[in-house]
Amino acid sequence: MDELHDADCGCQEYNDLSRRQFLGTAVGMSAMAVFPDWLPKIVMSKNYASNRDIIVSVFMRGGADGLSLVVPFADANYYSSRPTIAIPRPDDTSVAAAARGTNLDNFFMLSPAMAGLFPAFQATDLLIVHGAGQLYVSRSHFDAQRYMEVGKPVDQTLVSGWLGRHLASIPPLKPGAPLRALGVASGLQKTLVPPPVITSGMYDTNTLPIADPTNFSIGGASATQTARINFLKGDYAGADEPVHGEALAATATIDLLKSVSFSTYKPQNAAVYPNSSFGRAMRSVAALITQDVGIEAAQVDLGGWDTHSGQDPNAGSMFRTMQDFANTLAAFYADIVATRTNVTLVAFSEFGRNVRENGSNGTDHGRASALFAMGKGIAGGRVITKNWQPLVRQNLEAGQDLKVTIDYKDVLSEIVQNRLGNPNLSFVFPAWTPTMLGVTR
Amino acid sequence: MRPTSSATNAVASDESRDLESRPDGTMTEESTEQRRSRRSFVFFGALAAASLLPRSARAQQARTKPRKPVPPPSMTDASIPPGENVAAFAEWDLTGVSRLVRRVTMGVTPGDMAKANQLGWQGYLNSQLNYTRIDDSAVENFVAQKWPLVNQVSDTLFSADSNQVESQLQEATLYRSSFSTRQLYHRMVEFWTDHFNQDITKVGYLLVADQRDVIRKNALGKFPDLLKASAHSASMMAYLDQNTSDGRPNHAPNQNYAREIMELHTLGVDGGYTQDDVAELSRVLTGWTITGRGIFTFNPTIHDTGSKTVLGTTIAGQTGAAGINEGEQVLDMLVKHPSTATFIATKMLKWLLDPNPSDTQIATVASVYKASGGDIKAMIRVILNDAWLPAAPMKFKRPYHFMTAALRSTKPTVASLASMNTQLAILGHQSYTWQTPDGFPDRIEYWSGNIMPRWSLASTLSNLNSTSTLAIDTTAYRAGSPAAAIDLIDQNFFAGEMPAVTRTGLLSYAGTATLTDAKVRELIALAISSNAFQWY
Repeated sequence: MDELHDADCGCQEYNDLSRRQFLGTAVGMSAMAVFPDWLPKIVMSKNYASNRDIIVSVFMRGGADGLSLVVPFADANYYSSRPTIAIPRPDDTSVAAAARGTNLDNFFMLSPAMAGLFPAFQATDLLIVHGAGQLYVSRSHFDAQRYMEVGKPVDQTLVSGWLGRHLASIPPLKPGAPLRALGVASGLQKTLVPPPVITSGMYDTNTLPIADPTNFSIGGASATQTARINFLKGDYAGADEPVHGEALAATATIDLLKSVSFSTYKPQNAAVYPNSSFGRAMRSVAALITQDVGIEAAQVDLGGWDTHSGQDPNAGSMFRTMQDFANTLAAFYADIVATRTNVTLVAFSEFGRNVRENGSNGTDHGRASALFAMGKGIAGGRVITKNWQPLVRQNLEAGQDLKVTIDYKDVLSEIVQNRLGNPNLSFVFPAWTPTMLGVTR
Repeated sequence: MRPTSSATNAVASDESRDLESRPDGTMTEESTEQRRSRRSFVFFGALAAASLLPRSARAQQARTKPRKPVPPPSMTDASIPPGENVAAFAEWDLTGVSRLVRRVTMGVTPGDMAKANQLGWQGYLNSQLNYTRIDDSAVENFVAQKWPLVNQVSDTLFSADSNQVESQLQEATLYRSSFSTRQLYHRMVEFWTDHFNQDITKVGYLLVADQRDVIRKNALGKFPDLLKASAHSASMMAYLDQNTSDGRPNHAPNQNYAREIMELHTLGVDGGYTQDDVAELSRVLTGWTITGRGIFTFNPTIHDTGSKTVLGTTIAGQTGAAGINEGEQVLDMLVKHPSTATFIATKMLKWLLDPNPSDTQIATVASVYKASGGDIKAMIRVILNDAWLPAAPMKFKRPYHFMTAALRSTKPTVASLASMNTQLAILGHQSYTWQTPDGFPDRIEYWSGNIMPRWSLASTLSNLNSTSTLAIDTTAYRAGSPAAAIDLIDQNFFAGEMPAVTRTGLLSYAGTATLTDAKVRELIALAISSNAFQWY
C-alpha cells in the first residue's frame, strides 16, 4: 500500500474527521488539538474525499479475443493456429512498421490497434493479466457476463453485482453525495445492482444508469421545473424499490449534473477522446471525476467483441474495436490516471475466443482472455500470467481454448481491498477466497 | 438506494464510540483494519444468519398501505429481486377486466376498456387472439403510405437508402404497436422480435423480410413454424454468421448460430446441450446460407457430409441437396424437445404474467405447448386466465411500452414518428438496435433507474402541437373545471383507476383557476411521468 492508502480507513467518521482536520488546518494550528493524535497522518489533497480510489470498470461485452489484444508473438503456435488473422511480430520486416505489434516483454506484444496503451504500460501504470477470466466454465455470453458481474457463478439467488455490493459495504467517499456511482448506459448494468435491501450496516449505493450525463434534464418550462419535480417526489414517495430510490436519486441528480460543465470540459495533457460512444462515455466520466461531485464508481461498456467472422484484427472489424478501446483508455490515462493518484480502471471481457480461427476468418467462443488494470496504485508495466504454456492442442482447454489460469476475482479482490479500501471481500465476492497476485503497489 | 432501516449507520456510530474510548491513544493502521474487519464480519455474519429466514410471502392482495414490510436481510440476496413482486395499486380492480386489458395492450385506453367491458374477460381475450378478424386496414393503409419500404421485397430494399430502410421499419413498427387495434398481436410481435433478436446495424435491409415473413407472420401461430421460418431467414443467417460457415475439409464451421438456436431460441442455456452438441450442430448446419439479395439457400458444396451426433441422436450425413434435411431433422428435434416446451413456456409466462412464474404455472403451460404442438394462442389462453392474472404482481413497462402507452393515451394526430423514434434511442429502447442475440431485457432492475429520460419524453411529447410531427389537442381537457380535467386524465391514462396520490398531486398542481393549454400539457406530462403510469 502506498502512502495515501496507508491512512485509508474507509469509514465515514474518519472522512468527516479528515475534512474537519483539513478545515482546522486552514483556520489555524490550534484547531488540531481537538483531534486525537492516533489519527493517522494522511496526505491531504484538495479535498478529503481523495484518499481512496475511484473505480472505473469497463466491460468488454461479447467475448474479446485476448490473443489479438495482447499477442503471445513468441509462440509460433499462435501463428500456425491463425493463418489469416494473425498479427505480425514486432520484428516482422515483411510488413510496414505500423502493422507490427509493439513488443512488451519479448513474449507478448500489443497489437497495432492497441499501441495507444503503450505509454501507460511504459510508465508502469498499466498491468495486463493474461490467461484471465472466470474459472467456472461457460461459453454462453449471457451466463458468463451475468456470473462475472454478479461476482459468483451459477448462484441464481444472488441478484446484486460486485460493484453494487462494494458500494453497499463502504460509506460514501463524499457523505451525502446524491450520486455515488453511475452506469453509462440506458439500463443499469448487473455489475452495479445493489443488494435488494439496504440493511443496518450497509450504505445506500445511490446509483443510476445515465446514458448521457451531458443531457440529464426533465425538460419543459424552466419556470415550473421545481414544482414539477416536487410533484414527482410526492408521487414516487410511496413507490416500491427499486423505483422509489432511483426516482428520488434522479431528482437529486439534476442539479448535480447541471453543475458539471461537460461541454467546456478540457481534458488534461491535451488528451483527445475518440468521438465514439465509448470515447464520449469515458470523457463524461472524466469530467465527473475532475469536478469531484462524489462519483466513486462508474461502469462503462464497450461491445463489438463477438468476432465470429471477418475478425481482421489488422485492419478490419476488430482493429476498429480495439482502436476505440485503446485510444479511449489512452486518453483517459493521459487526462485522469496520469494526473491523479486516486483512480483505478479495470477492463475485462466475459471470455476469450478459440485459439484456432474458424472457417469464417473469425474465432468462436473460448475461455481465457486478457484483463487490464490501470492506475498509479497498480503495479503495472508487466504482463502477468500463471503457468502459461505453448498454445498446442494438448495444453488447451477442451483442446481449443486458452485456459483460465487467473480468476478475475483475484485481481478485483486485491483492488477492492487495497485501492478501494474495502475489507469486506467476502461480501463483495461471496464464497471466494482470493489469491493476492500483487497487482497493486 | 434508499435506506430501509433507520440503523443504516450503525457500523459508523459503533466505530466512533469505539475509537474514542481507546485508553492509550495509540492505534496502528493494521489494528484499524483488523478491528474493522472483525466488526464487518459481525454485521455481515448477522445478515447471513438472517438469510435463513423464509422469504417473504408473495404479495397477492391489494396493498392497504403504500410500502410493503421490509423483507429479511440476506447475504445471498432474495430469490425475487426488488420490483418483481409488487402488488397492484389499491385503486386497481384486481379481478376486473382492466388487469387483462393492461396485459393485452401496449397501453390501456378508454376504447379498450369499453370493448373489454362489453365482451368480458374471455370474450375480450378471444377477440384479441383471433386478431385476423379485427379490421386493421386503417393502420395498414397509413403504414403503406407513410413507410412504404416495409412492404418491399429484399431485391428492392437492397438498393434503397439504408438509413431510410432502418427508420421506416422502426417507425412503422412503433405506429402499429401504438395504434393497431390488434394489440395482443403486437405485444407478441415485440416478444418474438426479442426472442429472435437481430441488430439492424448488422443485418440492414434483410431485417424487413424477417420481421414481415417470420415474426409478424407467426407471432400468434405455432412455435415450430416460427422457429423454422427463422432458421430459413436470410437475416438470421447473416446476424449469427451462419452465412459464413464452411463445412469443407480444413474449414472449421462457424458455431454462432448453432449455439444460439439452442441457447436462446429453443432449449435454453440449461436445456441439456453441451459444447460438443454446439460443434456438431454447427457441422449439421453447414450450407445453410444466403444467395443473391437476401435469399435463403442451402449450398451443398460447403456442407459437411460426415455423420454427426446432436443431443445423443446420430444425424446421418447426406450429400447434395438432401444435405439440408440433416438440419431440418435437428429443428424437428429441437421444437419437440421437452426443454424447449419449458423454456418457451417460462419466457411467455414472464412476458405476459409474472417475472417469477411458479413451477406449477411453468409445468402447466409447458404441457399445453406439448399437447398443442407449440400453439402460441393456446398457451396465452392458459397464461392470461382469470385466476392467475388477478394474483400476479404488476410489471414495469419497458421504455418501448412506456412510449406506446403515452402515444395511445395522448392520441396525437400523427404526421411523423421520427422524433419519437429518436426519443426511443434516448430511452435505450429503439427497435432492432439491441446488439446481442438475447434481445432487450425485460427486467425492472435493468430499466427502472433510467427514469429521467421518461420524464423528459413526457414533457417533450405533451408539448407537441405540430402539423409536421405530432399534435396533441388539449381542448377536451379545458372544457370544464380542473377537477374535470383530472378525471379525464384518469380515464385516458389510468383506465379510471388513478392512484389517490397521483390524483391529489395533479389536483394540487392544477390549482383552481381555469386551465391554460400550457398547464394542461404539464398535467399530461406529469401523468405520464407518474409512478402508476410506469406499471401494467
